[in-house]
Amino acid sequence: MQRQTIGSLAVMLGPAVAVIGVFIFVPMLLTIWLSFQNWSTQTGFETAQFIGLKNFFDIFSNTSIGRDFKGALVNTAIYTALSVIIILPLSVGLGLLVHQKHVKGGVFLRTVLFSTYMVPMIAVALVFSKLYSPTEGPLNQILGWFGIGPQTWLSSPNTALFSIVILNVWQQIGYFTVLVVAGLTQIPVSLYEAAEIDGARADQKFRTITLPLLANTMLFASVIAIINAVQVFEPVALITQGGPVNSTNVLTYHIRRVGIERAQGGLGSAMAVTLMLSLIVAIVALFAFFGRKGDRA
Amino acid sequence: MTTTLATTEPRSNERPRWNGISLSKAIIFTLIILASVVAAFPLVWMVLTSLKTPQETMAVPPVWFPATPNLDAYRQVADVISVGRSFINSAIIAVFTTGAILVTSLMAGYAFAKYQFKGRNVLFSVLIATMFLPPIVTLIPLYRIVGYLGLNASLAGVIVPNLANAFGIFLMRQFIKGVPDELIDAARMDGASELKIVFQIVAPSVMPAIAALALFAFVYHWNSYLWPLTVLQGNTDQYPIVISLSRLLSYNRGAMNTGLVMAGATLAVLPPLILFVFLQRFFVDSIVATGVKG
Repeated sequence: MQRQTIGSLAVMLGPAVAVIGVFIFVPMLLTIWLSFQNWSTQTGFETAQFIGLKNFFDIFSNTSIGRDFKGALVNTAIYTALSVIIILPLSVGLGLLVHQKHVKGGVFLRTVLFSTYMVPMIAVALVFSKLYSPTEGPLNQILGWFGIGPQTWLSSPNTALFSIVILNVWQQIGYFTVLVVAGLTQIPVSLYEAAEIDGARADQKFRTITLPLLANTMLFASVIAIINAVQVFEPVALITQGGPVNSTNVLTYHIRRVGIERAQGGLGSAMAVTLMLSLIVAIVALFAFFGRKGDRA
Repeated sequence: MTTTLATTEPRSNERPRWNGISLSKAIIFTLIILASVVAAFPLVWMVLTSLKTPQETMAVPPVWFPATPNLDAYRQVADVISVGRSFINSAIIAVFTTGAILVTSLMAGYAFAKYQFKGRNVLFSVLIATMFLPPIVTLIPLYRIVGYLGLNASLAGVIVPNLANAFGIFLMRQFIKGVPDELIDAARMDGASELKIVFQIVAPSVMPAIAALALFAFVYHWNSYLWPLTVLQGNTDQYPIVISLSRLLSYNRGAMNTGLVMAGATLAVLPPLILFVFLQRFFVDSIVATGVKG
């Protein structure tokens, strides 16, 4: 400790704290402050006028501003929930396939899955927009081989949001699979051996050992999946522009459109604050849910 | 099933493999193949389509394999966007950001791992919390702040807000904790400065973590879209390849040539994918480190 002066501490922490402070913390506080202001993004912060909670009343009102925002909030909630609901079990299944040692090919599967995570979302969006094409796309053709009729995918308000969920899951599943594999390697083999001596079947071992001991990994994975899901932007910005009929208008896209393109910085900030609060609620709820499960284990 | 196993002669091993435990092996193998095919399919289709003729890309029902694979689409990409310029812009963004993140993360990670100071845990938690903040929450004021700094519509505007991040600090702290204090103390006895200790003693002993962070940062910033799109404001000279791709798409709406878009996408995908294929061990190790120890 003797040589670690305030000086060297400042040198070590200074750059990182300055960058994160100026470009994340200050903007975050400004977002909160701006949410109570009438402010155009094209002007300086000094032009902001305090209007209390008016922005929040507006975004939850029955005007077109309110309807668009509430629609985006609901779309994002559905999109996020579907993503998490699909990603968690799928990543456990794929994780078990990668982790098992009976059959070769686990590492190969991990490589293929994880390489999709390296692909820029923009390229994923472009490729899937063609895969989904109702006439020229291979997906409807493949479904046809199994006697399943053509799907509307991105072209109908009923299926567009779900189609983007699938695209998102495809891009991200490799990351979550590797997370699950990391969790699986932490489970002591001795637990399984003891269970086998007691005559436990494979499904019993999975339910009583694997799942409870994966609770922490699942909690972490859920939080990351939620944070990633609310960031969906490229497929919407590039392919659907929020449509058809606003069915894929999600928050990141909507907030950017209002706050940057329409320069309604105060309104956009109120939307961003609402998103931040919703995330906090969702994550606290998750901790409560998994915390209970973890205790039982 | 067990009786079949028992009565089979040891010589003919093949048939019993489909019984009992070996049946589950067959199922596992099938699932692995199936999952790999589904995962790889979009990328394979992307590359195949980039080699087709415009007619083949628009055929109904779709043509899977180009009759005579050709690189015309790639040549055409170069007519619509300046591929070289876009690649250089992407490289500048990714390389500068990655280099800075390595330096800032090593130093801050070292301080959090090895220094005792008041408020250390609070400051660390506050910094780490930013990892969970979606970028859209700060986008609007950030856009204005970068404008105040005079960095709008420039590559510097893309790079500067990303010179440090919480993930890097977290990863480095996790690994630097494992570096023995004796090593650091011995260097101090020899009169080494703290900066020298970070970069010449600590850094070499956490090389795998540095490699992982470098790859993650490079790929993340090569791929990033929302912030560059916002800050560059239509200044096409400064577009990285991922944003130039959207120009291909709007061009394609008139030209009706999907191969063109797929060729551009293939080009954009190559650098991160090649990096990953050669260095995947580091990626996997770092996820294990953050996911489990975190």
